[in-house]
Amino acid sequence: MNSIDPITLEVVTEGLISVVREMRATVFRTARSVAIYEARDFSCGLFDARGQVVAQSEDIGSHVVPLPWSVEASLDRIGDDLEPGDVIVMNDPYLGGTHLNDVTLIYPVFHDGELVFFPAVREHWADVGGAVPGSMSGSATEIYQEGIRIPPVKLVSRGEVNHAAMEILLSNMRVRDERMGDFNSGLAACRTAERRVRELIDRYGIETLLSGVRTNLDRSERRMRAQIGKLPDGRYLFEDYLETFGPAPTHRLEPLWLPLELTIAGDTLKADFTGAAEQAPAPVNSTLAVTAASVFIVLKSVLDPRQALNQGSFRPVQVVAPKGTIVNVTHPAPAGSHGEIRKRVIANMLGALAQACPELSSADIQRTSFHNLIGGIDPVTRKEYVHYEWSAGGNGAFAEHDGPSAMAPIDWGDLMTAQSTEVLETRYPLHVRWTGQAADSGGPGRTRGGLATRRALELERGEARYSLLADGAVVPAFGILGGESGAPVGSFIQRGDDVVPFPTPGKIGGHLMTAGDVIILQSAGGGGYGDPLERDPAEVVADVLSGYVTVGEAAKVYGVAISEGRLDRAATESLRRRHAAGRARFAIDVVPSKAVFQAVGRGCKRIARLAPEDALRWQFGDDQLVEMVGAGGPPVRAWTVVDATAASGRLQLDERACATLNVTVHDEVRLRPVYSPPLKVTAPLDTG
Amino acid sequence: MKWVGIDVGGTFTDVVVYDHQDGLVRSAKRPTTPAEPELGVFEALEALAVDLPRVARFRHGATVATNTALERKGARIGVLTTRGFRDVLMVGRGNRLDLYNIKATRPVGLVERTHILEVSGRLRADGSEMTPLDENGVHDAARRFEAMGVDTVAVCFLHAYANGAHEARAASRLRDTLPGVLVCTSAEVLPEHREYERFATTALNAYVAPRMSGYLTRLADRLEAEGLSVSPEIMSSSGGSWSFARMARLPVNSMLSGPAGGVIGAVETCRALQLTDFITCDMGGTSTDVAMVRGGAYALSMEGTIGEFPNRVPQIEINTVGAGGGSLAYLDTGGFLNVGPRSAGAVPGPACYGRGGTEPTVTDANVVLGRLRPNARLGDRITLDVEAAERAVDALADRLQLDRMTTAAGIVRIANTRMTAAVKEISVMRGIDPRSFALVAFGGAGPLHAAEIAAELAMPQVIVPPLPGAFSAFGLLVAERRLDYSQAALIPLTDDHLADIRARLEAMEDTARKELADEGFGGHAVRIEHSLDIRFHGQAFELATPLTAGMHNAAAIGESFRAIYAERYSHADSGSAECVCLRLSAFGLGDKPAARTDDSSASGPSQTDVMTRTVYFDGGPEDARVLDRASLPPEARVQGPAVIEEPGAVTIVPPRSTARVASTGALILVREGEAGE
Repeated sequence: MNSIDPITLEVVTEGLISVVREMRATVFRTARSVAIYEARDFSCGLFDARGQVVAQSEDIGSHVVPLPWSVEASLDRIGDDLEPGDVIVMNDPYLGGTHLNDVTLIYPVFHDGELVFFPAVREHWADVGGAVPGSMSGSATEIYQEGIRIPPVKLVSRGEVNHAAMEILLSNMRVRDERMGDFNSGLAACRTAERRVRELIDRYGIETLLSGVRTNLDRSERRMRAQIGKLPDGRYLFEDYLETFGPAPTHRLEPLWLPLELTIAGDTLKADFTGAAEQAPAPVNSTLAVTAASVFIVLKSVLDPRQALNQGSFRPVQVVAPKGTIVNVTHPAPAGSHGEIRKRVIANMLGALAQACPELSSADIQRTSFHNLIGGIDPVTRKEYVHYEWSAGGNGAFAEHDGPSAMAPIDWGDLMTAQSTEVLETRYPLHVRWTGQAADSGGPGRTRGGLATRRALELERGEARYSLLADGAVVPAFGILGGESGAPVGSFIQRGDDVVPFPTPGKIGGHLMTAGDVIILQSAGGGGYGDPLERDPAEVVADVLSGYVTVGEAAKVYGVAISEGRLDRAATESLRRRHAAGRARFAIDVVPSKAVFQAVGRGCKRIARLAPEDALRWQFGDDQLVEMVGAGGPPVRAWTVVDATAASGRLQLDERACATLNVTVHDEVRLRPVYSPPLKVTAPLDTG
Repeated sequence: MKWVGIDVGGTFTDVVVYDHQDGLVRSAKRPTTPAEPELGVFEALEALAVDLPRVARFRHGATVATNTALERKGARIGVLTTRGFRDVLMVGRGNRLDLYNIKATRPVGLVERTHILEVSGRLRADGSEMTPLDENGVHDAARRFEAMGVDTVAVCFLHAYANGAHEARAASRLRDTLPGVLVCTSAEVLPEHREYERFATTALNAYVAPRMSGYLTRLADRLEAEGLSVSPEIMSSSGGSWSFARMARLPVNSMLSGPAGGVIGAVETCRALQLTDFITCDMGGTSTDVAMVRGGAYALSMEGTIGEFPNRVPQIEINTVGAGGGSLAYLDTGGFLNVGPRSAGAVPGPACYGRGGTEPTVTDANVVLGRLRPNARLGDRITLDVEAAERAVDALADRLQLDRMTTAAGIVRIANTRMTAAVKEISVMRGIDPRSFALVAFGGAGPLHAAEIAAELAMPQVIVPPLPGAFSAFGLLVAERRLDYSQAALIPLTDDHLADIRARLEAMEDTARKELADEGFGGHAVRIEHSLDIRFHGQAFELATPLTAGMHNAAAIGESFRAIYAERYSHADSGSAECVCLRLSAFGLGDKPAARTDDSSASGPSQTDVMTRTVYFDGGPEDARVLDRASLPPEARVQGPAVIEEPGAVTIVPPRSTARVASTGALILVREGEAGE
């Protein structure tokens, strides 16, 4: 392997990144579908012959990072049969894809008969067939309802498009001209990349170029290994839930359990999701590529946020996700829930890293990708419309700073999340009554979690259907190091003065709206960091004056007394003393896991068994969502069971919970309700 | 009679004077005092002994507003907005700036949330009233703004682009109640839809207004006191000259005041050379500005930003990259060699300035390579400390385990790569091949790097205009008066609606002509250009489509739009089109100088003038001739390797390249085997 001097390395690296930038510009210029050139829901990347990312630019992490699985699956199937001029097309989630809408073009580039690079483009095609327009169905029970599946195939062979195959694909998608445009834009981008890669080869020679690629990958690997090496070795456990609901009329919550065992050993790291719930016939499953990519996105964002992204960073990392579970879906379960699985894998990673390196990490981020759809026919223009919005929630607080409010999370690249009211009111029969950051929605903590977005949308005329594909409507983003939870996702319908929540929060399919109906939607808040009683009272006062926290919650959670806009120092001190003394603490009994888990339909949840007198004393209800808090790290969530046989003053924990909370049988554990701010479904604030 | 152009930059103030008597253009450079920029202005005037009563045109370029915004030294502002929409300015577009960083934060806004007040009163998208304006609410807000002690108030109501009445009424009540507080409205600053971008631009205007208007007032007063009898003018970001009074009201239009001067100057220089397609490269101390001119016209962008915030007034499309002479070369956390965007700034400056800088900059690398050397005869005010530059480069070379010259050449190469990327971004990325474009290089460091950048991009020739070191100031002199107007209006592009479009444009034209007449332009001295922002129905992005004389019906306009669309997006599209915004540019035309620099000594380099020194190029050391630009007569040819020096700039002619002096005084560099011109 010949070495490369640092100056040539920098110049070659800039050259490779510039290839990807030009691919991006080409897609942007040539695509015909709104999803691509307005929402910029596409990504480009340059991969080496082994399918490793060697360059990317301002692309969406949730697109690019899973791409190597697609390249690998393609190589496995047709790698021996590739020739110059071939183009592989695929979207199959079961074969290295994400969801069916993400159609991927992979373009092998040869030099002297050797495969050297793969430019690849992943685009969100606005429709790939299936049960509903847009293909993303909140009620899918099988993948066939989510669109047409394309395994890795050579749709272009030695430069010749296979028209027969293309016809079959296009005949199964809505708005076929637009889809043809999507395909052509990806093809144009790959061909541009090939030209530019050849120019680089001519200029610097293939050996120098490949040596530059290797050096960059190796350096990223070394940096990541050095970062992992600084973390304390150990086994870090965490668990979280996806939400499904049982049948009408009760729509009982059936949470799907997702555990993580993160092992740090020297300079390597393993994320093991063994034990994850079985895949379900509902949109809550995703693929190994998505699961692993989400692990990588967190590690990159926590351990090495400064350098450009390439695959070298992920060499020291192993991801285990058993087949047939919600994190490694297999045929024929729906695979459309990449947005929700991603957020939950990220949550699990943040929960584990809160034990290993809380100073580098943050509390949990917005729990959902929050796909809201309102569609119908405008009676004035008689045209069909679909309004799609994905308002961002709050990000997790971290040691130095409050979590940013209403801002895209780490897996969303540079996606815009706040839509223009003026554009929306011009295009659709919708009126935005108000919009803004929801007071008290950020998880309280020494630093506060970011606030959620809350909006009220009124249907002005005609009828419309409202759908929501989200999660985190019951189990909210958690705080760490004693920080409290952010607000859960919410969605309500207002008719006159009545505000009614939906029976299956976060999962709504085709609710009928009539003129004058108002939908109030709220994204998820971010978790808090550290004990809220330790927050600087001056910052709490500033939050109250700015309208981020209400006076009542300032007293209740932060123990800060404010009268007439000023801090009451003496009252604050006594309030904080009282709050600290009034926390429910329990002695620990260690029991086998099967004693603290309860099956609910297809779901399974952890329970906290309480003696009736304890429930009464600390005012816990039955089947209430609570969390156990240990010495540091993350909380462990459970649902209460008031049980006359339970010992007073004691709580049963399994070894898993003890490890997560870093407590033993000799310690105490705190139990508290999961923070839920008073729900005022009104404008975020009123300055009148 | 004299014409004066003065460009106040962050570090230096440049003045260019055109003297009608001898037809010559002269220049001078003085340091800027950021707190009191007018000091540098008068020092520069003094340096060229400008007699203000004899000045017939005074043109200004100033980055006062830009620096105020970037350094966060603006006013305490209040915002009055529509009830329910207080957070539009706080949330913005809800995007993430630092993609893979769990600790990314949102940039701190220009206004605090407590200083944003809401008032009832709501318009619909078509401008009709849904809820009347609560005037008592406005009055209450005024009292609260007073208690907050705000300097300015931005009035930002939804759909104000369609109907500015609510904003105007609220502004007038605020002005009545709050004397001394500057009030601006979003409809006045930017009457276009998309509330965040309009509100943010309006807030930015309010933020920079007190400082900018204070500066312009002080400057105008002193100029008048010292005998200036004409009204001074200032360059706008869209490349036109404005009255001080208008800019004091709408200072958000001055953010690219200086760089716009450079582009306008390049258009004039190239017009004389009959060149219509070129890319400008203005390389200064901390950054490089790149702009593209096609068919003799520069493009306007409505997508501008300043720092992290949108500034959506029309401005010349300029791509700025954080690499300039003062950019630092360093090893980053990953051990990679990097150049910029960190900069040594004015203080301490590059190591070779001898003001305490120890880290190597691009300028230091050029000194080490022999491209830049102290030159007493040019009267440069800064002497260069060659040893300090060598020490700085050596320190980095040791860490890289490379020799001094390889390291210095590497620094220059990486800086060039950054600038090459900036040129690519405005050309290749838009589907335009720069190989048919000339590179016009100016700014203190532009001519040093231009030949290598052009070679990298296979651009056939480099133009170095006269006075490259003060070129923006020259551009100010030759700019036209230009006023831009826009009006958002969603109108289907059909013959039925053409009369409506025409009526609106005529009303805008009346306003424009009146405003130009007030500034002394009438009749043939006025040129009007119309254009429509058009999009396909249902899309969100619109393209500016100029209206020309032959377009009598909607079909003709639509065809022109489709042609522009096809060029921009590389594919044709069909479907019905709609107009989203009407635009009008009004030009007040004046004379332009036939610029000629003082070439009285240009008898050709005499034997004593010709020196040689060792200069490092890609291939190693070469004996390069060192020439004084002033000594080169028109049509002189200089074979590379050579260094052509002049006050404020140095042009490098690499081996196997030739520089020719055009009759206009511009230097034209061509590589061997290229046709040139």
